[in-house]
Amino acid sequence: MRQAAPLPSVEVMTSSPVAVVTGASRGLGRALADALAVAGYTVIVDARDSLALEAAAAAIRARHDLPLRSVLAIPGDIADPAHRADLAAAGADLGGVSLLVNNAGTLGASPLPALADYPVGDLRAALEVNVIAPVALTQLVLPDLRTTGGAVLSVTSDAAVEAYAGWGGYGAAKAALEQACNVLAAEEPAVRVWRVDPGDMRTQMHQEAFPGEDISDRPTPEAVVPAFLRLIRERMPSGRYRAAELMPAPVAETPVVETPVVETTATAEASS
Amino acid sequence: MTTAIEPVPVAFELRPELEAHEPPEARGTGRDDVRLLVSRTAGGDVSEHAFADLPDLLLPGDLVVVNNSATVPAAVAVRSTLAEAGPLTVHFSTAMPSGEWLVELRSGSAPATTPVKGGSPGLRLELPGGAVLTLAGRFSGRLWLARLSTAVIPYLLRHGQPIRYSYVPQPWPTEAYQTVFATLPGSAEMPSAARPFTPQIVTRLVSRGVSVAPITLHTGVSSLEGGENPYPESYDVPAVTARLVNLTRRSGGRVIAAGTTVVRALESAALADGPAADGPVAPSAGWTSHVVTRDTGVAVVDGLLTGLHEPLSTHLWMLAAFADGALLNRCYQVAAAGGYRWHEFGDVHLLLP
Repeated sequence: MRQAAPLPSVEVMTSSPVAVVTGASRGLGRALADALAVAGYTVIVDARDSLALEAAAAAIRARHDLPLRSVLAIPGDIADPAHRADLAAAGADLGGVSLLVNNAGTLGASPLPALADYPVGDLRAALEVNVIAPVALTQLVLPDLRTTGGAVLSVTSDAAVEAYAGWGGYGAAKAALEQACNVLAAEEPAVRVWRVDPGDMRTQMHQEAFPGEDISDRPTPEAVVPAFLRLIRERMPSGRYRAAELMPAPVAETPVVETPVVETTATAEASS
Repeated sequence: MTTAIEPVPVAFELRPELEAHEPPEARGTGRDDVRLLVSRTAGGDVSEHAFADLPDLLLPGDLVVVNNSATVPAAVAVRSTLAEAGPLTVHFSTAMPSGEWLVELRSGSAPATTPVKGGSPGLRLELPGGAVLTLAGRFSGRLWLARLSTAVIPYLLRHGQPIRYSYVPQPWPTEAYQTVFATLPGSAEMPSAARPFTPQIVTRLVSRGVSVAPITLHTGVSSLEGGENPYPESYDVPAVTARLVNLTRRSGGRVIAAGTTVVRALESAALADGPAADGPVAPSAGWTSHVVTRDTGVAVVDGLLTGLHEPLSTHLWMLAAFADGALLNRCYQVAAAGGYRWHEFGDVHLLLP
């Protein structure tokens, strides 16, 4: 009944790639950290709520039976320069960051106010967290990314390009982040710079944007993770992507009954 | 400041052959392949079992409370040296509310380290990976309050080795220092009483009607000198566990602590935030300085599963809250005469009412 349980050999420093995922205590950040840990990355995760972050890290490790050092929780506020330095130092210490996921973000004021009434302090805070912090963190890990041939993935939103009433603060911040990524891609040819719109998801942030609304029809963050993994695995060119267009296509099923091919003439679809 | 606690008169000699020098898995068997000494305080009888007998020794309705703290590799070799001490090893013991850590400086490298008397406030020690440890002040005879230049636990997971003393000659991976319940990293040394549990044994407990509930208590270093009082440790008794403890007590079941850390956490919760509406224990978290002894007694824990402890160790103070000196003496004589094995990889002892 009792099986011999061979002991793992004493750990040696492995050369697993290192990822930093910000805002990883829940939602998309947590789902991405989970997938990257499974893919063999050592994942440094950050969030302000240290208990929630530690619990998320513990859950990821337990789910996949991963060792403690596979997911390193470093709690803190991404807007705090000392915390950003800590994240970068931990990454360098592990052999260098090869993937930075700028996922942490804030909606700003909730419910979303019109720009006419947007509290300027909230606007400044939204820009600090959504633009300054990820750009500053990217600066710190760029030396690593250049040597590892790494990538920066910044999570954006369609609010960066569409004019949704109430989304002026968040949208303007995401637009600024996008353009920073766009320019960074031109300046850093050795590094991939992706900005990805994940689409609407069933997350706390989305719920805060639509307080009281039933958002259970939105896909879970886990459902869009394959799109991100494809980007990383195929090391696709720098640029802007929507998760929906990156999703691996479902395998086409062979129809059981062959439908007769009907010759059709060119239709009105061809017009305009 | 600290009141001296009377040593528990448990007289035995810890001969080298009584020390467990490696995990039981090294013998090619399971982690549950250890012996279980059982003492019952009501009748004063002592019996000998295998750990795998545990589910049959407990009763349906009993609650086993376990510590889900995971062991971090808390020993770090230091580059810079104190002139008088030679190479140093730092043992990170306990996170303090201030963000500082209690650390112990030891001379030499694992496993042959010995306590260092030196050090002074403001001393900066260069650690691997560019981190700097600054001593803030002395906390106790051998512990310093210190601040590391980076987040401590992620740092230890990158650069630390499990703390090891001279009776464990070979290094073992951090995984060898985890119990099956280990979830939240933070212990400097393994909460080792639960080390023999396997998923199969937990399943057998559940099937028998024995419940299992977690607390978190991050253990500090164990290397206290005889007579040195335990220092504060951080703990968390979650609401679900507080409720289950109270329910078990109301229902006539017994609360069995899997380890001295569990006793400390539950008894601290009863003192700090209890009683609750449904019983003596309320959800509670923080740092505890509570030391359970014969004099304090125990308010909520009925039984204790624990390792075998060194003569004069502070853990024996706690055991005296469960059993009188005569019974403890008899247990330790049986264990010593029977070749039981001491320390974190060794045999275990169950004290039941």
